[in-house]
Parts: sequence; C-alpha cells; structure tokens
Amino acid sequence: MERMTRLLAGLLGTTARVLPPSRRQWAEAIQAEAGQVPAGWRQLHWLAGGLWLVAREANMARKIVYWLGLGVVAAAAAWAIWLSWRTVPAADPESVTDRVRVLVGASALLVLPWAGRRSGLFGPVGSGITPRLVRVAGCAAVCGLGVSIVHLDRNAGAGGVLGSGTISWPREIAGLVLLGAVAAMPPVIRALKPQADAGAVWGPAGVVALAAFAVLPMQVLTILYVAGILAATSRRSPLPSAALAIGTITGLATGLIIYGVLAIPSDIALTGGIVLTLFLILAAIPFLVAAPAGIAAAWLLSGIEDPKALRARRVRQGLLAGATAGAAGGLLITVSAMGLGIMMIIGPLAGAAGGAFGGAVAAAHPRKSLPGGSWAAGMFVSSR
Amino acid sequence: MPPRAALSAQTRAVLAALAAQPLEWRHGYDLALETGLKSGTLYPILIRLADREMVDACWEADQPAERPRRHRYRLTSLGLAATTAALAGAPAPAGVTRPRRAAAPRRLASERS
Repeated sequence: MERMTRLLAGLLGTTARVLPPSRRQWAEAIQAEAGQVPAGWRQLHWLAGGLWLVAREANMARKIVYWLGLGVVAAAAAWAIWLSWRTVPAADPESVTDRVRVLVGASALLVLPWAGRRSGLFGPVGSGITPRLVRVAGCAAVCGLGVSIVHLDRNAGAGGVLGSGTISWPREIAGLVLLGAVAAMPPVIRALKPQADAGAVWGPAGVVALAAFAVLPMQVLTILYVAGILAATSRRSPLPSAALAIGTITGLATGLIIYGVLAIPSDIALTGGIVLTLFLILAAIPFLVAAPAGIAAAWLLSGIEDPKALRARRVRQGLLAGATAGAAGGLLITVSAMGLGIMMIIGPLAGAAGGAFGGAVAAAHPRKSLPGGSWAAGMFVSSR
Repeated sequence: MPPRAALSAQTRAVLAALAAQPLEWRHGYDLALETGLKSGTLYPILIRLADREMVDACWEADQPAERPRRHRYRLTSLGLAATTAALAGAPAPAGVTRPRRAAAPRRLASERS
C-alpha cells in the first residue's frame, strides 16, 4: 500500500507538469494535502483524485482521443501504401501510377502539417472537439481515397476509369516538378519582393497549380483536400467550430443523398443528354443542401459593426460553410464510388455557390432576437 | 432575475462550509471531510470558484519543518455575498457568475437554470 501511495504521489507530481502554471498549483495543493490524509486507502483515493484533476484540467481525454485518431490515420495511410505495393506492375499497368498517387497523398498528410506549422496556416489544430474530429475524419477519408483508387484500378485493369492505362514517367515527373514549384513560389516571391501583396504572392502559384492539375489531376486534388482539411481545422481557421460542424454534417448528408440518387436502379442508356442531366443533378444537390448550411452558418455571426461589413462577413461565412459541405460530400461520395471523382471538384464549387447564396439570404433576413437569446444551428444560444 | 448558472449541490456544500467561518483560512482536506467530497470533485469546484473570484486561494506563508506548505482557501467578499444569496435562494449579485476573462462563453439553454 505504501509503495502504491508513493507511486501515485510521484505520478501526480510528474503529470502536474503538463498543466499550465496557473493550474499546476492545484495539483501541487492536493499533493501537499495528502500528508494530512490518513495513510492507506483514503490517502490513495485522495491522490487518485489529484490524477483525475490533472487529466480533467489538461483535457487529456480529448488529447488521447485525438492522438489515437492520428494513429488510425497513420495506420490507414500505411495500409493504402501496402495495398498499392502488393500488386505486381506487370499484372496491372496502373499499379505504379496508383503507388505514386498513394505516396503523394501520404506525403501530403505528413509534410503539409509540418510545412505549414510555422506560419500557422495548417496547424496546430483548433481548440475543441469539432476541429479535432473533422481533421481526423477528413485525413482518414483521404487515406480511404487511396485505398479506393488501388482497389478500383486492381479490379478495372488497364484503361480503367482513373488513368490512361500505364505509367508515364515524364508526366509524373513534370507534375511533381510543377507541384514543387507551387510550394516554392510564395516564399521565393516574398524573399525577392517583401512588399508584394497576397495577390502577387499567390497568383503565380495558382497559375502553376492549375498547370499541375492539368498534368496530375488526382494528385493535385488530393493535396488540395489535405491542405483544405488542415486549414479549415487549424487554430487560425476563418471558420468557427459551429460553422465547421454545420458544413461537415451537411456534407455527410450531401454524400448520402447523391449515393441514394445514384443507387436508384435504372436501365436508361447513358446518352449525352442523360449524362448532362445527371451532371446537373449532381451539381444541384450540393448547391441545394449547402444553401441552408450557409444560412445557418451566417446566422451564427452577430456584430455591432457597419451593416455592410456584417453582411459581407455573413456571405463569406456562408460560402466557407457551403464549400466545406460540398467538399465533405464530394470526398465521401468519391471514397464510396470512385467513378464519381469529378464530385471532388463539383462538390466544393457548387457548395460554395449554395453557401454564399444562403449567406446572402441570411444577411438580407437577419434573425429576430428572442428574449434571452436566439436559435442557431438547432441550438438555443443564450445572449445573457 | 435568477443567476445565470445554477450552483450544483456540491458547490453549495463547499460554499456553505467556507461561509461557516468566512474569515478563517480553510484547507482542502478539512473541506473534504466537512462536505464529504472526494479530492477529484472538491478541487475542480475550488478552481472554478477561484476563477470567478469567489474564493481566495494561497499557500501558507511559512514553511513548517515537518510537512509541506498547505494550500488554503477563504471566501472573498463577492463570494460571501453570492453564497448568502445562493443559500437563501435569492439571485446572485451581478458579476458573480461571469468568469474573469473579458469574453465569457455563451451558454446553451440547457445549461441555464
């Protein structure tokens, strides 16, 4: 018992160091007070209470769950790489292309958080459970994308849906060089022209990114999605947690609706007109679903500044929530039905348009305050 | 107007224990014995009360030879007024339930009393 007590006391002293100084003294207070508690079980319980206090004040449960989530993402990325390596290139001409795609995605998951950490663009993760959950789920979905690509191409064989059939090393190398140029351009421009504005810094990089997209669409899309997930869930994200939650939940609904629509059995021949109609339906779903998300997200904003500025902020917040919804829906539907990879482009664009529309509607029709607060995103937010 | 956040039974017990001898400094174990609360419940309550400036917390000034210095607690004047009001079922004085930081978090309806 005495050894156990000493062990717990030592553990409490050690773990208290993870607390910020303002909270550490409380753990030290429990430790100091333990001497007054009768030895035995009561002292042991007292010290265990101290450990509970440390876990609670350090948000340990949240951090442990987050790191477990990151472990799952790492395992999923490793699985995707392993899967892409299992197929013999001679048996499937696309397998080398898939390896490159999977490796690019895994590298983006590994490199972008590290590269963007200093500027705060991609990290650290925002406080609260929502950004952490969205980050882990989004990164896991990107890994799922890699697994789906490998599975699809292994079953589709040569000339499958997502590739030209065989690896083209000049194209892969040219695309990767262009991607490297995109990453290098902003810091180089900033170093050469410190006075350059954001447009001058990011404009040329955007043009090169478009060229890279033309060469390696899947790889560039994957990197963009990883960057988007990290940026939307970082501490500096312009999207508040509630708007992020609205966008993500709406995105899941968008994916399910599209999946449901496409699951309707039909023996209609896919003529040009039918394909166009289908395309319009696929674009309309994220737009229509993102519009209410934009309204809800925009209504979350309040302020006493210039009404024009508030209106602009509401439209922007609606746009971001809508884009999140469209991107989440596009990613989800692509993971589950890889042939709909185009939704990774249509989804965020249509979602952004729907969200901006919703934001504009919300700005034009501000909610009337109810006594004591207002409803937003299905929750009553007290203003008292 | 009722207080923004209702005090839990445990918080009331701690406040009542502190209010019994408002001028005396109290120690954690004494409070635990008096209220029947475990350390893992008592100390988070004391932390919140200190954050809301209802409780003063400090270390003993002198270092005793035979034991480490103890942390001690006492109600502030704001805490005493709030305790008196809470135990009598009256509204708390303004500012009592607002945390020290400037922007207090907004509360959900379900969290309100």
